[in-house]
Amino acid sequence: MSRHSVRSPWLLHFNAGSCNGCDVEILACLAPKYDIERFGIVNTGNPIQADILLITGPITKRARERVVELYVQMPEPKVVIAVGACACTGGVFRGMYNVENGVDSFIPVDVYIPGCSAHPEQIIDGVVKSLGILAGKNKEMEFPTQLRGPVTIDRGQVDRRGLAGSVASLEKGCTNRGTEN
Amino acid sequence: MSRTYVIPLGAQHVSLLEPIRFLFTVENERIASVEADIGFVHRGIELACATKFKFKQVPYVVARVCGLCAVVHSTAYVTAVERLMKIETTRRTKWLRIVANELDRIQSHFIALGHTSECAGFEALFMACMKDRETALELTEAFTGNRMQFDYVNIGGVNRDLTPEMALLMKKKLSLLKNRVNDLQELFMSNWSLSLKYKGIGVVSLEDAQRFNATGPIARASGLATDLRVEADMLPYGDVGFELALETAGDIHSRNVVRLRELANSIRMIENILDGLPVGDIEVPVKGNPDGDAISHIEAPRGQCIYMVRGNMTSTLDRVKIQAPTFANIPVIVNAFVGEEYGNAPPILASFDPCLSCTAR
Ligand code: SF4
Repeated sequence: MSRHSVRSPWLLHFNAGSCNGCDVEILACLAPKYDIERFGIVNTGNPIQADILLITGPITKRARERVVELYVQMPEPKVVIAVGACACTGGVFRGMYNVENGVDSFIPVDVYIPGCSAHPEQIIDGVVKSLGILAGKNKEMEFPTQLRGPVTIDRGQVDRRGLAGSVASLEKGCTNRGTEN
Repeated sequence: MSRTYVIPLGAQHVSLLEPIRFLFTVENERIASVEADIGFVHRGIELACATKFKFKQVPYVVARVCGLCAVVHSTAYVTAVERLMKIETTRRTKWLRIVANELDRIQSHFIALGHTSECAGFEALFMACMKDRETALELTEAFTGNRMQFDYVNIGGVNRDLTPEMALLMKKKLSLLKNRVNDLQELFMSNWSLSLKYKGIGVVSLEDAQRFNATGPIARASGLATDLRVEADMLPYGDVGFELALETAGDIHSRNVVRLRELANSIRMIENILDGLPVGDIEVPVKGNPDGDAISHIEAPRGQCIYMVRGNMTSTLDRVKIQAPTFANIPVIVNAFVGEEYGNAPPILASFDPCLSCTAR
């Protein structure tokens, strides 16, 4: 892992059904009082340039494919941070009919930040911790842990065409064929 | 020769705080039609309120409908339940609830102002707004114990009392904040480059506001005098010095001005409350289970928030219906885009300050 992207990681934030509480606290981290930019962190909207994925919310069924899509588009090495109680486990939304109980049921999570809402100081702590993890990773490919349908590799990339899965694969249940090549 | 393009904005985009997707049909830079898709954050809270949770837990669940106006949702819910169960809360409780609601409005309006200026390309003003918002959040933390999601109100009362030291601290910080709001007001009114992006853009006419039933700052910026703080009697806003902020132009600029004037008014109301807070208990005992149905209306930072609660003599409710302000405002938002340039879409959207987690629940 090159030193440079640890010194200046780019951050992508996605709201996967959160109540906005944690989103706004992430925004507060970027603002003057907490100022996460002093770690060289830049907020980007583009997954292809991002190193850190911050996810809030319990993953609603509509947001599910989008989360996986964003994760797959990010280049390796990458880290994923689940911000807030509901991103970690589903929190207060756990078991509601339209949520999937936490980020880690779809993509591997490196750092969990608890709290409802997570305090900006906790978020900074988590991001700094994730930088250590990022430094230890190499360019090996990482995969979503579960999808509606198998993960297939096409010419060295995760094939995104089947991400949302067909109805047939939905009925067969979820398959986890993570590192198959 | 004109060609039409379809440009999607969202579900994930830098200028969006929350997932919403717009499909703009663009004709030579002008927006010809818009479609909005708002369901990305639907979680199913209404059903869970009526099945999973007891009615005494629900105030804290409905707070998670939206982080920015959490206390408004809790207040609306508890007022409805108190009406059902014929609970008369103390005056002190009501005044403390106003303080929590107005602190919430202050921080929410700061975000809206900051976000509009960021979308207009004025990053420094965004940072300034966020810095001032921290003052409001510090007060919230001192007053309730947490920055966001502070779960302040419960059925029959509030969870924390206001101590004299806290009141002193609040007064000191609020007077600082008042000066900052004055400065911001001057900046927003007189900055020439901001007026290029704001004045005459994203206009909602009075007829449109009435026809589409707009609420909140959007309606008030178009000259439609509607505010549940005077129209409904859920909280005694008349006693604490409420003033209606009304503008007539209906563009981004006047929406900002309405927000700034409401900020100043909220600060003044909190100061009045701190000066004359009635003495008394902060809680009354709650016995029994709710029966029948009741409706409550509270003015959220973004407009009217309406709750309908139906009980059935057990500890679980039959139905909780949530009507959030942005849901009522979506038609007027979509309509305001038509005829504008595509480049202006992010600031227009930010000036409406949509809250999708309220809308989708
Ligand atoms: S953890 Fe709590 S505050 Fe954060 S997004 Fe979830 S419900 Fe909202």
